[in-house]
Parts: sequence; C-alpha cells; structure tokens
Amino acid sequence: MIVLGVVVAGGCGALLRYEVELAVRRWLGPAFPYGTLLINVSGSFLLGLLAGLAEAHGIRPGPVTVVGTGLLGAYTTYSTFTVDTVGLAERGRAGAAAVNVAASLALGLAAAALGLAAAIAL
Amino acid sequence: MPESTGTSGQAPLQPRTAHPHHGPGPMAAIAGGGALGTLARYGMERALVPDALGFPWATLAVNVVGSFVLGVVVTLVVERWPGDRWLRPLVAVGFCGGFTTFSTFALEVDQRIRHGQSGMALAYVVASLAAGMGAALAGTTLGRGRLQTIPGGPGLPDPDLLAGDDDPVGGSGPAGVA
Repeated sequence: MIVLGVVVAGGCGALLRYEVELAVRRWLGPAFPYGTLLINVSGSFLLGLLAGLAEAHGIRPGPVTVVGTGLLGAYTTYSTFTVDTVGLAERGRAGAAAVNVAASLALGLAAAALGLAAAIAL
Repeated sequence: MPESTGTSGQAPLQPRTAHPHHGPGPMAAIAGGGALGTLARYGMERALVPDALGFPWATLAVNVVGSFVLGVVVTLVVERWPGDRWLRPLVAVGFCGGFTTFSTFALEVDQRIRHGQSGMALAYVVASLAAGMGAALAGTTLGRGRLQTIPGGPGLPDPDLLAGDDDPVGGSGPAGVA
C-alpha cells in the first residue's frame, strides 16, 4: 500500500515541478535556471520540516515515506540541476554555472536545516 | 529583471498569458514517467538500505545515473529528434525528474553534519557534484556525438519543460553569452 502511495505521489510531484518550472520561467525569463533552484530549495525545506516532525512528533513512517520519498523526492530534481549547470558552462557562462552550484548547495542545505530545526522547535 | 539588464540586443521576452495546451497526453506522460522514476528510486533505496547514518549510496547512484540519462535524452530530442513528442515528457521531465532527488540529498547532508559526521557529509557533497556533473557532461557529449565547444552555439533547453514551452530566445540565442 505504501508503494502505491509513493508511486501516485511521485507522479503528482513531477507534474507540480513542471508547472512551477513553467511559471517561474514566464516570470523571470530563461537566462538562469531560477525555477529549478526554487523547486529544490522549497522542496528541501519541506523535506526538512517533514523529517523534523517525524523525529520530534512521532508521525508514522508510512505517510512520511509517501510525502517525503514520493511527493518531495519527485518534485525536486538533481538531474535537471546538473544538466542545467553543464548547459550553462557549455555556452561559455561559467560564472552563471558556478553561481547555480553555489546557490543550490548553500540555499538547499540551509533550507533543509531550517525546516528540520523549525519542526523540532514546534 | 534578467531581460532588462543582461541579454542586450535580444527581443524582449514575450509574455505568453495562456497555458500551452499540450493536452492530456503529455501531462499523463509526465505523471507516468514521474511515477515510474519514483518507484525506481524507492526500489533503490530499499535495496541499498544502509545504516541510519551510513554513506547514502542509493541517492548518489540515482542522482548520477539520472544525470547521465537526462543529458543523453535532452541532447537527443533537441539535436537529433526534434519532432519527438513523447520522450521529453516521459523520460526527461517525468522519469529523470522523479528518479533523481535534491531534497533527499540536502537532508542526508544536514543529518550527517548534525550527528558529527561532517567528513562523510563533505565526501557525499563532493562525490555528488563531481560524479553528477561528470555524468551529465558525458551524457550530453554522447547524445550529441561531440563536445560542445562553441560558446555562443545552440545550448541545451530547460530539461524540465516541453518543446512548446521553450521561448525561442531562451538558451539558444547567440546573444545569450554572458
């Protein structure tokens, strides 16, 4: 049953990523992968929050797996991050590629830590 | 803000108000591919379950493999098979996006730092970056048949969008060099 939930949540997460990516591209333009950055940072925050809630407030593992592994795992993406970065570098935009890596790492790790700390402090 | 400062000499970004109507088919392909990718990642995590705070081999493996596959597919559908309508929603946006994960990576790093395993956290970050970028570069090179060496040349599209969503200015204009 958990497998079914993970699979359905994964499909929803992929659709959600597509819609957010599209909206952010309309908003900020195609020059930099802001959409993927926003998706990965927001998803990391939510997963941190979920892990903190599970740890400190004893949420059952089933729903945590469905939302964490399924929805948030599929919503965020590592492959688009790496292919976007390689694409920027290939076009001679090494600075933008470096900014993408640094911002994704710094903001993503900070967001997950913040979510974790917030949930434990609740 | 980016179009007002950066790319001079380009037509301003044309705001498209309507949602591109890809129809239910491509949307179903994104959801189906995402579901399959998520199932494959879940299977990997179950198969390679480590100690609670061991080295996260499963996530590293899916992120590296997914980066390679996405690099191949995105290059193929843009440069070799531009008329293809299904590979991009099914494999690029759906499967690879669902298979790989950034949030799990970030949480795994944080949890290791929190529990005094900073060395492992650093090794995990370095390995994910080096192997992930290397795999993406290997994939795009394989898909293209050569290394991209023209700085102003045609670039890769947004891997998380479909063909109709790509602004003609985006990612491919010769003026897009920063």
